[in-house]
Amino acid sequence: MSEGTKKPDFSNVQSGASSTAPPPKPAAAPEVQTYTVVKGDTLSKIAKHFYGNANEWKRIFEANEDVLKDPDKIFPGQHLKIPAKA
Amino acid sequence: MRLSRFALVASIAVALPLAFAACKQEAQKPAAPPAVAPAPAPQAAPAPKPFRVSSIELGNAIGSDKRVSLAKTTFAPTDTIYASIATDGQSPSVTLSARWTYGDEGQLVKEDSLAIAATGPATNEFHISKPDGWPAGKYKVEISANGAPAGSQQFEVVAP
Repeated sequence: MSEGTKKPDFSNVQSGASSTAPPPKPAAAPEVQTYTVVKGDTLSKIAKHFYGNANEWKRIFEANEDVLKDPDKIFPGQHLKIPAKA
Repeated sequence: MRLSRFALVASIAVALPLAFAACKQEAQKPAAPPAVAPAPAPQAAPAPKPFRVSSIELGNAIGSDKRVSLAKTTFAPTDTIYASIATDGQSPSVTLSARWTYGDEGQLVKEDSLAIAATGPATNEFHISKPDGWPAGKYKVEISANGAPAGSQQFEVVAP
C-alpha cells in the first residue's frame, strides 16, 4: 500500500455541541393516584374500579408493599398508591 | 232603494281608495332588517411553525450566541472547526446530528448529536478539533434533523 492511499487516523478527534435552545423536557413520570380504602374494599375490587380488571390487584399490592403485608388484609382509612393504568 | 244604491256606490267609492292605500302602505313597509349575522367563530391559535434548519455556516470561532464570528470554508490544520446551524420553528424534541467526513470516500471523522426543544429561532453548534492537526484535504459536514437530511457544507483544510 502506498503512503498516498493511507487513511488518516481520526480516532483522537474531539467534538462537542451546544445550543441556544433548551433541552427537551424529560418524559413525565407516570402518574400515581392515591385511594383511601373504605369498608368492604378488596384489592381486586379496587383494581376493577381503576383498571377495569380485578386481576390487576397485584399491581396495587406491589406498589404498596411498604404498607401491605397481606393482600387480603386492607383496612378502611388506609391510603393506597394506585399506579397509572398500563 | 235609490238611497241604498247611492249608499252602496258611495261606500265602494270610499272603500276602494282606502284599500288601495292600505296595499300601497304594505308594499312600502321597510324590508325586515336582515337577520343578525352570527358572531364569527373565535380564531383558532395559529398552527405552530414546523421545525426547519434555515442555515449552516462554518468558522473557526463562535460567539456566545453560537454564531460563527467569520464564516469560512478553508481552515488551518490547527483550527477548531465549528458548524453553526440556525433553526426555526417549533417541536418539543428535535435531535440534530452532525456527521463530519473526510475526502471523496467520505471517511468518517466524527458524528455527534444534540437534542433540543425547539421553541422558535435558535442557533446550534457542533465543533471538532484534532490535537495533532487536521490532515489537509476536503471535508464535509452533513446535518440532519430527526434523521432527515437538513443540509451540508463542504470545507477544506490547507497545510500552512
